[in-house]
Amino acid sequence: MDHWEITRRDFLKTAVAVAASVSGAKGLSLSHAKEEYDLVVVSGEPIPATQKAIELLGGLSRFIKRGERVIIKPNMSFARTPDVGATTHPLVVATVAKASIEAGAKEVLVVDHTLQRPELCLERTGIQEACKNLSGVHVLTVQERKFFKEVKIPKGKVLDRIEVIQEILDNPVLINLPTAKSHSATGVSLGIKGLMGLIWDRESFHSRYNINQALADLATVIRPRLTILDATRALTSGGPGGPGEVKKLNLIIAGIDPVAVDSYGVSIVPWYGQNFKGRQVEHLLAAYQRGLGKIDIDQLKILKEKA
Amino acid sequence: MRGFIQILSLLLFSALFVFATYKLPDWLFADLYLRLDPLLSLNAIFAAREIIPRALWALLTVGATLLIGRFFCGYVCPMGVSIDLLDFFFFRKKRRENPLRLESTLRRMKYLLLIFFLSAAVVGLSLAFLFDPIAFLTRFYTFFIYPVAVTLINLFLDLLRPLFRQLGWVSISHLHFSQPVFYMTAITLLLFGGIIFLNRWVPRFWCRYLCPLGAFLSLFSPLGLLKRRVNEECNQCMRCRKACPMGAIGEDPRKTNRPECVQCGTCSEVCPKEAVSFSPSFSIGGEYSKLDLSRRGFFFSFSGGLIAGFLALQTPFRLRRGKLQLIRPPGAIPEDEFLRTCIRCGECMKSCLTNTLQPSLWESGLSGLWTPKMDLRLAPCDQNCNVCGKVCPTQAIRSLSLEEKNHAKVGTAIIRKELCLVWAQNKICLICDEICPYNAIVFRPLEGYRRPVVIASKCNGCGYCEQRCPVKGESAIVVVPDGEIRLKEGSYQEEARRLRLEFKPDPGDDKFILEQEGLKIEEDRIGKGKTLFKEKLKSQKPKGFL
Repeated sequence: MDHWEITRRDFLKTAVAVAASVSGAKGLSLSHAKEEYDLVVVSGEPIPATQKAIELLGGLSRFIKRGERVIIKPNMSFARTPDVGATTHPLVVATVAKASIEAGAKEVLVVDHTLQRPELCLERTGIQEACKNLSGVHVLTVQERKFFKEVKIPKGKVLDRIEVIQEILDNPVLINLPTAKSHSATGVSLGIKGLMGLIWDRESFHSRYNINQALADLATVIRPRLTILDATRALTSGGPGGPGEVKKLNLIIAGIDPVAVDSYGVSIVPWYGQNFKGRQVEHLLAAYQRGLGKIDIDQLKILKEKA
Repeated sequence: MRGFIQILSLLLFSALFVFATYKLPDWLFADLYLRLDPLLSLNAIFAAREIIPRALWALLTVGATLLIGRFFCGYVCPMGVSIDLLDFFFFRKKRRENPLRLESTLRRMKYLLLIFFLSAAVVGLSLAFLFDPIAFLTRFYTFFIYPVAVTLINLFLDLLRPLFRQLGWVSISHLHFSQPVFYMTAITLLLFGGIIFLNRWVPRFWCRYLCPLGAFLSLFSPLGLLKRRVNEECNQCMRCRKACPMGAIGEDPRKTNRPECVQCGTCSEVCPKEAVSFSPSFSIGGEYSKLDLSRRGFFFSFSGGLIAGFLALQTPFRLRRGKLQLIRPPGAIPEDEFLRTCIRCGECMKSCLTNTLQPSLWESGLSGLWTPKMDLRLAPCDQNCNVCGKVCPTQAIRSLSLEEKNHAKVGTAIIRKELCLVWAQNKICLICDEICPYNAIVFRPLEGYRRPVVIASKCNGCGYCEQRCPVKGESAIVVVPDGEIRLKEGSYQEEARRLRLEFKPDPGDDKFILEQEGLKIEEDRIGKGKTLFKEKLKSQKPKGFL
């Protein structure tokens, strides 16, 4: 995963340059091209907002080499319909999957290790249906230990090894596609918490380790090339499974810095009726302290657009 | 030709069995064979003392038998096919005495069994399932074939997985079927093995001597049109008599024991003179062999059935049924009727998506053998699935819409405080609350601590909490039958409304907040009559936030 490196500087220079060329008429002045952005935030309905965010990023071809296999990790762990807010919006998933194929991906694997019966999760979340007609896109659940492989965590504080879905070790491109929701153990469940869907022994995070530290450890070895946070709706209480309060925010937040995306995600809505900052989320702070990204959103350069 | 039809029938039976799972389309009758079985239908109708619509399908079988004869046993019955197949594999070369010396005595057995089961059913004890071939085979498929098949398929997939990876077949290289597990697999296998083993002495031992369904059909099959005829060419070589798998040919090979003849045509195949034919004929009299049942035998089995029925019903399981701990599937009709109506085919357990449905051994006595119970520690009942009722051939489990099924409360969760990590050890655990689809578990301030409690009126007993409870061994939260709704007819939703129950997946009142340090509420809040929980919230942060 580490052989692919793109600095944030490179990323956003090009991103904005492309964005400017695409949507020049919409008033993006060239001076933007010299600026560096950490995040793109687009408001709008699922499909156009996702498309716009991808466009502002400069297209997925910047992240995917032709012929590569792309792993997309949405949240489809619960057999809930999209309106409950516990799972990633199916249209967001399908839009990213389609864009990946268009960007030259050989195949797209939409993968999660579900908590409830996989056939129900695939059906109820609507993700299988949304991706049905996309050729080259496979929606899979991975429930058996034989599909996992152990990796060492050299920088780990509480974990020194972890079994993760083998496909993300074999394939360099991981796009994390979390939904924005509250979580009864970690406060919020955004991109970094979503990585837990890629490990075998989820239970141990709850019972054996400090879950917040373990998540930060996990994030040191699973490094998505891109995190696209689906905040079209946010489950602001009752997470992770719902039912709870669902706020319709119509936001898509994307970036390569997993901490920055999540930290911004914390700020967009009150959780359990209270306002929080990224620093106040224990696992995000731990990830920041591991050097995985920026946490203070007032120091982030953010490109906001409407779709 | 016969072999071909038989294999087709077994394939159809197997295919319907495979389809009996989530998500079974409404138009597909996965329980077709069970519906067509007149013995199961009679048994259920007698025992339940009412007409069961699905059971009336069996009239088709009765009608066809009246028209054609006892072809069901020779061509359709999947148990017959299985016996023939396994006979071919294991006992083909065995020298067997045909017919057996005890022929006439044994032959009565199936009639005695039929009388026994039906008289037990009249008293209200459903027992025919023990010997009914269709129910028997469905059980065998459910508890043995199905788990073994899944194991083998997964093994096969594992073997070929490297190849699939090489070929780049993404989906199939990740394919794995969840392994079903059942109690009573061994006992079911033993019984089935026993039936096959009896073939060692004579072909189709089961069908000749034991099968009560065959006995029932033989009562009127001689009326059928197709009858065995032997012309003058017959040189009495006796080949047909030796070859007849049913032993239906008498010492005079030109005569046929009509009730026993399943029209398989083996006799005409082996006849060197081509003297045997099966041609349509209306004649009834003459060759109609009488049932060779002594009055004594009839009396014994009839009264035996009655006595067994009475005995099986006069047990604590029935008389104190309100005190039993079994959780029945959602939509199961009231326990008494349920036991009378259920034919123990195991189809509901096969179809169960989560594998929570398990067969009972002695948990509800002889009258409850193999009946489905929910083992919620193993698996929960999912609110998106209603397939068990759809496949129930006698509607002992009613076929309900999802909305109705989720209101068919099977019990209520209770917290066993002495085991609960929060109650007994002050640990921070909220898994039951987190997983509950109905927000029926809330944290309440009690005696200075926040404790999980169950709101009974919101709990429909789905068992997610019991299954997920992290306490090893016995769960600290268990579903008990208290509060279950068992309706023979009418709407569960209305009943729930009447009882002021609400199973709605909406945000509950439990925006509870726990502090990292523990569950303790400040001392000064205690003992003032009311604990100001909401005020307290303001100064606290949800778990995971600093």
